[in-house]
Amino acid sequence: MGFLSASASFTRYRIIEEIPDTLWPEIADRLRRNAFKDIDHTSDERSFGWVAFDDMLDADWRTAPPQKGEFITMGLRLDTRRVSPAVFKKHLALALADEMARMEQTKGKAYVSRDRKTELKEQTKLRLMARTLPIPAQFDVVWNTTSGVVYLASIQSKLRALFEDMFTMTFDLHLEPMTPYYQALARLGEERASALEDLEPTIFV
Amino acid sequence: MEHAYLGEMTDIVLGQEFLTWMWYKSESQAGRFKADSGEPFALFMEQRVSVTGGEGDAKETTSVSGLLSELREAKIGLAMGKKVSKALVRIEADAEQWTATLKAEDFSLSSFKTPKVETRREEGEDPDSAFLEKMYLMERGLAFLDCVFLEFLALRFSGGWKEEAAAVGRWMAQDA
Repeated sequence: MGFLSASASFTRYRIIEEIPDTLWPEIADRLRRNAFKDIDHTSDERSFGWVAFDDMLDADWRTAPPQKGEFITMGLRLDTRRVSPAVFKKHLALALADEMARMEQTKGKAYVSRDRKTELKEQTKLRLMARTLPIPAQFDVVWNTTSGVVYLASIQSKLRALFEDMFTMTFDLHLEPMTPYYQALARLGEERASALEDLEPTIFV
Repeated sequence: MEHAYLGEMTDIVLGQEFLTWMWYKSESQAGRFKADSGEPFALFMEQRVSVTGGEGDAKETTSVSGLLSELREAKIGLAMGKKVSKALVRIEADAEQWTATLKAEDFSLSSFKTPKVETRREEGEDPDSAFLEKMYLMERGLAFLDCVFLEFLALRFSGGWKEEAAAVGRWMAQDA
């Protein structure tokens, strides 16, 4: 669920470096260079990249620019192909039975070697992947260029890690999650870092 | 299992102490707070609170919810040494209302609701106006929350924390 929905779940980050002035005119190009690539017609397991904030089908910013007022907006699109384990199990059993029959006919004994089994597993997976449609998902990203705060509409740790890497790769900027530790550090200053890391919990009762 | 990261323990300690203190604070001053700008706002923790205590395999979490309840079981948990790990927070300012579930250890926010934004667009209006209004409201709500955290930080790292912690302890004992 994105920021425009009635109820949003999100994580906040702060950009820690000074942003070079040369970056601003490059924003759209940098997003395009790391844009989402469709995998509908491949058998790839997953694909991720940037799309326009308002339209997950627009990976070229034809419909609207990323700038909205003081904000830079984008969507992190992540498409994933998933083959149900039950489907995989069935098709692997079929492939193994076929192989057994073939071995019996050609070699006179129904036997499938371990290596051949691994191979069949791979082949079955690929074949099923190609027949499965990727599940699309979009996670809104909003960057307040005045405050340097970046909002990601997700609280899942795997997605967060993927987003942090993508953001750094795209803009050459590092993000600091606005967790209690980093907020305290920003407030108290780096010289208190070690005191913060060894903070003793308060016993209230 | 996720890997430990720098400041992870501090995230848990500070986050849980903050939510615990915020509950005490909002109850002891009937939800009344003041922003840096001097603007008054109200903040309440109600309806849904989780308290956690212990470590590793002995970690124990109690989640209590109720529309008009005093969340007594959660308070009993506090009196037993648990701390708030997650809570539904309601903020009111100027007849507007925000609600969100705040998680102690990383300050991630879920089910964040701002005052309603009119999404139907008038003719000639900026196509981004609903977005800009939504962002304005979101950041306004977050600013109130940050303000309370800063108040906590100032106290937590001051000489007055011992006394404040004792007051929090008395509040826990009295309600449990």
